[in-house]
Amino acid sequence: MIFLDAAFSQHFAPADLAGAVRDALGKPLRRAAPLTQLAVTGALHAIPPQRRALPTALLWQSTSGPRRETLHLLGEMCGGGEPMPYDFLATQPAIAAAQLQPLLPGLDCAMHLPLDDEKRAGWSLLLALACRWLAAGRYAQVLCASLDCWDEAATGDWLSLSARPLENPLAGLQLSDMQPPDALPDTPDFPARLAGWLAGDGPAPLVLVSPRAARLTLEFSRL
Amino acid sequence: MNRPVYIGRRALLCARGDSPAAVAAALWAGQCSAGRRRLGARQFPYFALTGAETDWLRRAEGFVGQIAGQLGPLPAQTPLFVASSSFQIGHFEQLGPPFDLPPASASFTPLIAQWLGLDGPRYSFSNACIAGFSAIDAARTLIAGGLIDDAVVLGCELANASTLAGFASMELLSAEAARPFDAGRDGLVLGEALAAVHLSAEPADWRIAGLRTGLDGHSTTGPDPDGGRIAAVAVDCLNEAKMQAADIELVKLQAAGSPGTDLAEANALRRVFGQAMPPLLSFKAALGHTLGASGIAELAALLACLDADRLPATAGFARVDPEIALAPMVAPSTAHVERALLNLIGFGGGLASLIVARRP
Repeated sequence: MIFLDAAFSQHFAPADLAGAVRDALGKPLRRAAPLTQLAVTGALHAIPPQRRALPTALLWQSTSGPRRETLHLLGEMCGGGEPMPYDFLATQPAIAAAQLQPLLPGLDCAMHLPLDDEKRAGWSLLLALACRWLAAGRYAQVLCASLDCWDEAATGDWLSLSARPLENPLAGLQLSDMQPPDALPDTPDFPARLAGWLAGDGPAPLVLVSPRAARLTLEFSRL
Repeated sequence: MNRPVYIGRRALLCARGDSPAAVAAALWAGQCSAGRRRLGARQFPYFALTGAETDWLRRAEGFVGQIAGQLGPLPAQTPLFVASSSFQIGHFEQLGPPFDLPPASASFTPLIAQWLGLDGPRYSFSNACIAGFSAIDAARTLIAGGLIDDAVVLGCELANASTLAGFASMELLSAEAARPFDAGRDGLVLGEALAAVHLSAEPADWRIAGLRTGLDGHSTTGPDPDGGRIAAVAVDCLNEAKMQAADIELVKLQAAGSPGTDLAEANALRRVFGQAMPPLLSFKAALGHTLGASGIAELAALLACLDADRLPATAGFARVDPEIALAPMVAPSTAHVERALLNLIGFGGGLASLIVARRP
């Protein structure tokens, strides 16, 4: 079994995101795209300072991806010129990890999974990889996140998992072969459903199933 | 459960040929010519796929169809893992303004799945140049754990102006040619590729002995020149494979001809191998740097070379850089290789090492 140490969601008006980063860091984060800013605020909120040097993986999914930045780049390209270097870099989600690592020195691995359907999510894959990698001792903690930047809002849903938990972990997590009728599908509202389950006190575990990959079934249990 | 994961069928389309065996033969023959691609007033060498189709999506469909043909029949439920840096941005460039991007950023992946005849689970990976190995890492983790039994991992990088212009704007491209590890290296040459590997728990000729990804946040565009983080990833990979550095008989380099990244990789290799450096090989002066597809394309090309016991010389290399003080293979070899290490070093600090080993 692995442990769920933190589960939270963040919601920012786009104009407030840079301020949230400044609050988290005590200074502005220069030349950081909105997805990077979202990653920084969430990761620092998820992992307390004393654990930031532990070997960590960040697995993050996104429906929007760098949408606004891509549209901006396409606009620049259509003018026939070359883009400004930063405008191209801002379309590359992978650079978020490079800007995050100095703040989270234990960050050893970052994997970005763009989603292909706004009605589906990839939590089952992220959590299954976290279970396997934590059980194997590959990392001490794994951050699983869903980050989106739309015109109207920037949102982040975060789950922090570890093999050796914080003092009061929220739940246990393991791969499972049971599929109860009330199992949750892998959809974007899963973090809200999980938050509801965590706020309750019923004995039943919460089960997340992947509609297309039946064996990627995850079971959250109370400790 | 922790079962071995094997690399079975492979498919490859790139500037050097339309199958892994054809690419290996072209590399063995020393072919490395590139075309040119115009960008405003400038022109850059570019390794393009051949074909008359000009519609971006129909061209992509044709190429994916060729990959499907090379892979052969697969159950429709086979999980699909897609790696790309640019997905279908070339399509949107072609459509022009107003740019109508779909809500989901990887909406190209369902099309690829459809063209491959797959309707099982599908996942997309966008980790710049290490995306291919990230996708393989995820797929092999699930296979090793018994969560899936097999997977197609596909890398896709097709022509678009945005990527070329982005790299050009950062002055990362060579105006002439890629020269891996060479004293005169002055930048990358980009290219197109589609490639796929079928991973499975069913035994095949090649096994994934180790795979580790890492991160070097030295800068957003290149690793720390001391190579420390790159070396650490390779050592982690050796540890997973339960191998010593001396067990590695060949290194397929990242080396793309970048002044800084080539130096960092060379310093990392010295940390790992010391004076007992195995033969070094780079494909990028012959295939181009195919970015998100490069991991899978170069894996498919390398395995084809190893299957034939024909290791090509590294194109583009002529003169040792005193700072690098390493030379890749300059003559072809018929050495039989049992274990090889493949390096990827990407934009955004991404690092990856993969060790392949022949099945005993």
